Amino acid sequence: MNNVISIEAQTALFEEKESPLLAKRLPGDLAMWFFILAELTVFAILFIGFAVSEQLSPEIFAQGKNKLHQISGLINTLTLITSSYFVALALIKMHQGYGKQAAKLLVVAKLVACIYIGVKIWEYLSLFEQGIDIETNTFFTLYFLITFFHLMHVLLGMVILVFVALKAAKNEYNASNISGFESGASYWHMVDMLWIILFPLIYVI
Amino acid sequence: MQSTNANQKNTISWLWLLALTVISVYIGQFLELFNTQKSLFIIVVLFIVFLKGQQIIDIFMELEQAPKLWRRLLLAYVILLPSIIGLIYLL
Repeated sequence: MNNVISIEAQTALFEEKESPLLAKRLPGDLAMWFFILAELTVFAILFIGFAVSEQLSPEIFAQGKNKLHQISGLINTLTLITSSYFVALALIKMHQGYGKQAAKLLVVAKLVACIYIGVKIWEYLSLFEQGIDIETNTFFTLYFLITFFHLMHVLLGMVILVFVALKAAKNEYNASNISGFESGASYWHMVDMLWIILFPLIYVI
Repeated sequence: MQSTNANQKNTISWLWLLALTVISVYIGQFLELFNTQKSLFIIVVLFIVFLKGQQIIDIFMELEQAPKLWRRLLLAYVILLPSIIGLIYLL
């Protein structure tokens, strides 16, 4: 009696073996994941460098952090998380084959990301108005270097999302050819994840 | 049905990420009320970084269903990097 497997269990076993949808697979291209790992490594070095420098010059870093606008950092974190959320929703729509809806969600994601860019530019300009720039001290050298490098990644991510959205709108992706979309989405989530580490390190701690 | 679940999962994750972000900013002021040391504040904030990273990796990046190696690599990043940063600040 114990050896008898129910029909449901047999079906589940069959689906697990046969269905490509249920099989474990990496979303997107393998090359993109290696690129993501390389990017994460570069940022890890920058973050560790920042933390070490803070220990070497705690007073300069404390003064520098006090001059930053923490609320603008908070707004930027919330916008990047929200933008990532819309990209995740777009990927679900794309999996269902709704290319146009996926493209619209990507446009929303990019519009939300524009808030991040606007806030970042405002933040830079307000620091410049106070006479603060990349040469002011070690803190601001690292602040401008790391945040501007991240901003470049946001801009690259937006360019990638524009191409992905255009292809999605033309229904050029399908169930067997969706890795380009997934790669673009994964890159965008990486940009979001980096900010999630950057924000507390530079603005909060 | 499956997509509805996926949508719900993403929405819950998004709201959780927003909440954790706000908590990480204001937890310092809350802990000051109890005269706690800055080291506890740093540990809490860095632990929140791990929680947020895990949500992005598993839910947004969909690595929950990916081969274990890649999920573990990314999770190792959000565990090791905050740990190293924490050690630099606390030691």
